[in-house]
Amino acid sequence: MSALELFRLALSRLRTSRLRAALTMLGVIIGVASVVALVGVGQGTTSNITTSLASLGTNLLTVSPTTQDSDGSTSLSRNDADAIGELASVAGVAPEASTSLTVHAGDESTDTTIVGTTAEYATVRAYDVWQGTFLTDVSVDHELRVAVLGASTAETLELDADDLGTEISIGGIPFTLIGILQPKGGASFQDPDDQVVVPIGTVQKYFVGGDSVRSIGISVEPTADMTATNAEITALLRDRHELAAADDPDFDIFDQTQLLDAASSISGTLTLLLGGIASISLVVGGIGIMNIMLVSVRERTREIGIRKAIGARGRDILAQFLVEALTLSLLGGLIGIAVGLGVSALIGQIAGWGFAFDPSTLVAAVLFSLLVGVVFGVWPARQAARLDPISALRYE
Amino acid sequence: MTVPIISLERVSRVYDMGRVAVPALDDVSLGVQPGEFVAIVGPSGSGKSTMMNILGCLDRPTQGAYRLAGAAVAKLDDDGLARLRSRSIGFVFQSYNLLPRTTALENVAAPLLYQGVGRAERVRRARAALERLGLGDRVDHEPTELSGGQQQRVAVARALVTDPALILADEPTGNLDSHAGAEVISLLRELHGAGRTIVLITHDPDVASSADRQVHLLDGRIAA
Repeated sequence: MSALELFRLALSRLRTSRLRAALTMLGVIIGVASVVALVGVGQGTTSNITTSLASLGTNLLTVSPTTQDSDGSTSLSRNDADAIGELASVAGVAPEASTSLTVHAGDESTDTTIVGTTAEYATVRAYDVWQGTFLTDVSVDHELRVAVLGASTAETLELDADDLGTEISIGGIPFTLIGILQPKGGASFQDPDDQVVVPIGTVQKYFVGGDSVRSIGISVEPTADMTATNAEITALLRDRHELAAADDPDFDIFDQTQLLDAASSISGTLTLLLGGIASISLVVGGIGIMNIMLVSVRERTREIGIRKAIGARGRDILAQFLVEALTLSLLGGLIGIAVGLGVSALIGQIAGWGFAFDPSTLVAAVLFSLLVGVVFGVWPARQAARLDPISALRYE
Repeated sequence: MTVPIISLERVSRVYDMGRVAVPALDDVSLGVQPGEFVAIVGPSGSGKSTMMNILGCLDRPTQGAYRLAGAAVAKLDDDGLARLRSRSIGFVFQSYNLLPRTTALENVAAPLLYQGVGRAERVRRARAALERLGLGDRVDHEPTELSGGQQQRVAVARALVTDPALILADEPTGNLDSHAGAEVISLLRELHGAGRTIVLITHDPDVASSADRQVHLLDGRIAA
């Protein structure tokens, strides 16, 4: 008998007992659906974390002070930043001195972060200018009162391209609006688009005082090794801060890629764990199929006897029952995939990370449900094939 | 000389019941020529069922030789027996033994499935067999929608569809009222008239009398 004939026979059999077939498939449907949905959600989370971290800037090292004096001054200075910028493996340096102030523009106002920095900030932190210009070396060197707004801040203050060149007030001091940044988006804990960027000297002169900086953003040359550069900067700063070999450093270097690796490894492990738990339910679904097939063989003993009497060989009966189990598990698997994709699309939409779709998961799900069908279908099918036709015909 | 359809030579079938061996058939010899209509008659316990199983290639003799249409049954394995049943025997059972929840057409076509006949050809031959037995308007009915007599006629159509060398009917009237029973018997006579070889197994002397030749079984032996 050809595979097509067997499949047709199985389908017509399943049609005669639809409710039972549906209930039998339910285990596999739930198992496959949860595997597909959980893996989809896991992949969605991973890609979400990856893109939002990448949007903060690639090859990024951030130096921050570990101590802060009561007047807000820290151990890091602009001179430290300049010295780091001399290193061959460093592509750009952006010292940052920041504070929180109220910004007024016309009748609108908002409280936001004022970041004092240099022209390289845009490259280091991966910002693009949407309208106007960014800070230039000239405006930074002359400590001009110019401001570049983040996209969210500009929106809050109802400012757009037409307002370039107009005056806004930061902490009561007038600044000229010279640019608006492209929005970055990303669902991070801090909105990267809600800030006002001004020259670092201006912030230090008018708002924070002193020469210290809150942090130094460093963009490493793409060809350079992150770990080696990290060590180089550590050595340089220890030297500049005149620390003895036994002293704890008064600064901390944060490596973006480490966070990325850690985040993807955590979410990868989580995906594997959830998928593993879900696949247990797939095995339970398989046992459900085996149970029903064993009952079915018992119930259909007479049918098996008749088929043998009219010429079916043992292997014909084996194939018939095996294909029935396979059809159940495969149909269950396909329905489960549809349900799982639907659920993960829905969760993705609610959580706002879009719809991650990995074909290899689907292939694996189909193969796994086929495997379940074979593993749990073989034994009942062998029972059926081995029945003695004489006693099977007499079976009531 | 023609090859006999059935040739039993000193056949015995002994059931091994633990310590005691129970002989159900004891040294039986029988020949059936092509075109014969033979009734095997005997009371219950006479070995009729064992005879039916042996003749139908559902079971093998413990001793002796059985040749069905020239083929030596003893040498065949289970698959070989299945192939021989598929090719050479059409069964008609007392309880019809139609496949449940399956239409008359699919029931009649089922033996062809195991001969590897294509679907279109199966349907064509099954429909023709049903029409020949006056069931042309019942092809899509399932067994539960048919009367006993109709079910038995579907079973006869299923037995005929492979054009077998032997029709083996095991108490074909046992579950039917006398009218439907008489119809089945006249149907068998009609097939015999068309040249079929038929072996009828029954306990009922009236039914047996419709055959050309009667073989009486008693205690596993052929009575004179």
